[in-house]
Amino acid sequence: MINDSKNVEESTTALATEEAPDNKTRRYDRQLRLWAASGQSALESSRLLVISGTATSTSILKNLVLPGIGHFTILDPRKVTPEDAGNNFFLEGPSSIGKSRAEEAVRLLCELNDGVEGKADLRSLEEVLDKDKEWLTEFSLVIAHNLEGGLLERLSKLLWEDESYPTLAIVRSSGFLAEFYIQYHEHTVIESHPETAQSLQIDKPFPALLRDSLALDFENMDVTDHGHIPYVYILVRVLEDWKKAHNGSPPSTYAERQEFKKLILAMRKKSDEENFEEAESQAYRAWTATTVPSEIRALFSDSKVTNITSTSPPFFHLVHALSKFVEEQPNHALPLTSTLPDMKADTNKYINLQKLYKERAEEEKKIFKSYLTVSVDDAMVDAFVKNSHALKLLRGKRWGSLDEDPKALAELVETSSKQLSTHLALSALTSLATKQQPNAPLTPTIEALTAEAQALLPAGVELPAEFGDAVGEVARAPNADLPNTAALLGGIVAQEVIKMITKQYIPIYGSCIIDLIETWTGMLPV
Amino acid sequence: MASQSSSNPSASADWPGRYHHIDHILDTPGPRTDPEFAAGDQVKNFLRKESKILVIGAGGLGCEILANLALTGFKDIHVIDMDTIDISNLNRQFLFRPKDVGQPKATVAAEFIMKRVPGVKVTPYFGKIQDKDDDYYMQFNLVICGLDSVEARRWMNATLVNLVDPDVPDSLKPMIDGGTEGFKGQARVILPTITSCYECSLDMLNKPTAFPICTIANTPRLPEHCIEWASVLEWPRVHGDKKMDTDDPEHIGWLYKVAAARAAEFKIEGVTWSLTQGVVKNIIPAIASTNAIIAAACCNEAFKISTSSAAFLNNYFMLIGTDGVYSYTFEHEKRDDCPVCGGQAVDITLNPETTVEQLIETLTERQDLQIKKPSLSTPTKQIYLQAPPQLEKSTRPNLEKKVSELVPPGGEVTVTSSTLPMSLSLRISYST
Repeated sequence: MINDSKNVEESTTALATEEAPDNKTRRYDRQLRLWAASGQSALESSRLLVISGTATSTSILKNLVLPGIGHFTILDPRKVTPEDAGNNFFLEGPSSIGKSRAEEAVRLLCELNDGVEGKADLRSLEEVLDKDKEWLTEFSLVIAHNLEGGLLERLSKLLWEDESYPTLAIVRSSGFLAEFYIQYHEHTVIESHPETAQSLQIDKPFPALLRDSLALDFENMDVTDHGHIPYVYILVRVLEDWKKAHNGSPPSTYAERQEFKKLILAMRKKSDEENFEEAESQAYRAWTATTVPSEIRALFSDSKVTNITSTSPPFFHLVHALSKFVEEQPNHALPLTSTLPDMKADTNKYINLQKLYKERAEEEKKIFKSYLTVSVDDAMVDAFVKNSHALKLLRGKRWGSLDEDPKALAELVETSSKQLSTHLALSALTSLATKQQPNAPLTPTIEALTAEAQALLPAGVELPAEFGDAVGEVARAPNADLPNTAALLGGIVAQEVIKMITKQYIPIYGSCIIDLIETWTGMLPV
Repeated sequence: MASQSSSNPSASADWPGRYHHIDHILDTPGPRTDPEFAAGDQVKNFLRKESKILVIGAGGLGCEILANLALTGFKDIHVIDMDTIDISNLNRQFLFRPKDVGQPKATVAAEFIMKRVPGVKVTPYFGKIQDKDDDYYMQFNLVICGLDSVEARRWMNATLVNLVDPDVPDSLKPMIDGGTEGFKGQARVILPTITSCYECSLDMLNKPTAFPICTIANTPRLPEHCIEWASVLEWPRVHGDKKMDTDDPEHIGWLYKVAAARAAEFKIEGVTWSLTQGVVKNIIPAIASTNAIIAAACCNEAFKISTSSAAFLNNYFMLIGTDGVYSYTFEHEKRDDCPVCGGQAVDITLNPETTVEQLIETLTERQDLQIKKPSLSTPTKQIYLQAPPQLEKSTRPNLEKKVSELVPPGGEVTVTSSTLPMSLSLRISYST
């Protein structure tokens, strides 16, 4: 009776804690399943600046307004031309011609989501750079599409001056070809949403798990119970017995591993015990040593970790604590997590095992926290421990540093000729645009573009064979902001912006090149 | 133009400069353009005045596809969708507003496009693709699918493959298919009977997670098991024949309550409203940006195929955006034994002891066939029929018989099923 009433009470408490979702949660349901409330709140506090109101720019914005960024400003002094009205979905055809492009686009974009604030700023970027530089630094992220070389250089250099200045997304497109780059000093990710789970540490069982595994009396057990023992216990037990018989070593050769599997299957009381079959198929967990991934180990020796100070960002404090934990705790492993995969078992045995893991994970988290020298938000510690095998630290470079480095370009001619060809053709176009009257139609010849690209390479290094294909397309449609290219960039850049703002998933590292003739994307490394 | 402007009073003739950006491409060939490309007026006239394109789906991909096609210069667009607008669509289906909730997607999307992009005619059909016959599909030059259902894709694919008549070149309708899930997606070009078709690649699909009924009934361990218990076992037990509506918040609320109580009883943590809804509706995360990428890739292929202005995708593009931007473009190969486009029977070798029931089980487990509840027959007799009830009853005794008693070696068995877009021929041989 006591048990029953407790169950009822528990279930009513559970009911009270979660009711049918409100309208906002329902509206955002399909994205909350990707980045949860924490990601959503990061999006809602973000402020974006977009230069300017081209078809590509509004396509990017559409995919950021829909999921609910906090604020965006479009910086654009131009009036809508007949050409704009034909290729931009966020203008109203002929009726928008002659009106402010920024104002028209803001009005139509804001219709997508009344939770988002949009503003049009009719100044030119040049004017802002000349007279109001600080204003640019008030945003969380700036997106620039097809700026001419001189302005792009000024903007990118300015935003690089201080680590606290906004991230800059640079987007260039010409007909079927495009490229984008994200300029950031440093980007850290805790919630990278890895595909792989943390180790169950079967090779290094924690005391309670070892104790319970050894206490199981397989021989005299009831047949039903025997067929419902979770494979984790089975593996720990068989491994323990194996090590006793083999000088403490796990099975290491192919033959030994086959023998190990046979031992597991030999324990069956009936031929159809699925838990033992599962233990056999999971046997690799017993001989795969639980280690710290090399990428995580590399973080431990990062200078920001080794030279930690009280003002260092929490991420580095957490990594520092993690390095101490790994170094000083007897297992030299990452903290155990409580995430247990499903396995053949009855409810009680599974829930008990889950409880064992949970209790141990809590203990290890306590130990981990004792290595922290500053206070860090509990939710962040939880997320950090859970993802400690998949943390990410990216260090970027200033936009333009690739084109200023002939040696690096020469190497890319060898290793990434296709991607580099598109990059060079677009760089040639950007720099030609600087050399002519502002706003004059750009009609570069293949020869002029080729000369610009060639000038970036060291003397004696030839342009890649594929350069002809890329430069021919750029000369064919230098200014064309094609609806499909704009839409694709709109999606791909918005994905990266979302990853940067939410600090979830892993953003690009380097330049992303897009060719919509053969329909491929590729990367040029930083 | 007159007939088009009648559908939209604000439409006027194309204003000067309207297609400035696209005309760059249509006036001049590029280095990788097919020599057949008829630059200039010929290709523009075809695109803007003659071509007729069908979009299947007016949801996440469909909204994007319609907008891209309209801006690119396709002026005669048809769209089919059987769904109505739900509030959870509004985070990505950007042609819809809160006031449109409950309205048919195809109709609202078509009206929005015609209002925003003057001179484009979008003809909606609020209903199923299966309502339309071959003559209907024959009128289009190209079909783009933005669907979330495997079954609808299989049907569309099989229909377009069957439409191909080698003597009538126009009967070959390129099918461009897109799909997304979270930060991932794919776009592909199918030339029916020429390239690999949708059915050829069925084994690339992830196997859906299915929980064994005995786990759900006796040994629940995960919150999902409790939710399945509520929806699969408790709902029919308590509500009888009343159909569960996964869009009805009251129904979800009931399932959540029942699942949460069971979880509490078994001390299982993690049953939430959101998980309950996710499990019973089989919700796939979806965002505007991924749909934009895949829809743009699809429309770009439609544009290139329709204009020959550049080579088109051969034939599969997949994108993963969770870790950087990773994509893979490759040629998916045609399967000679594809039940839809291969024209050959599927060979299957059985142990002579195999019963009809075991054969049925084998068929339903095969990832490359994906059959639910198959009915089997030979040219001369019915082996087992799932419906109607009287025939099911009369053929049921065959389930326990050996296949080898009913089908000679090398004999053919015809398999039909509601999940199969065609009937499948099996050629049976026996291992000795």
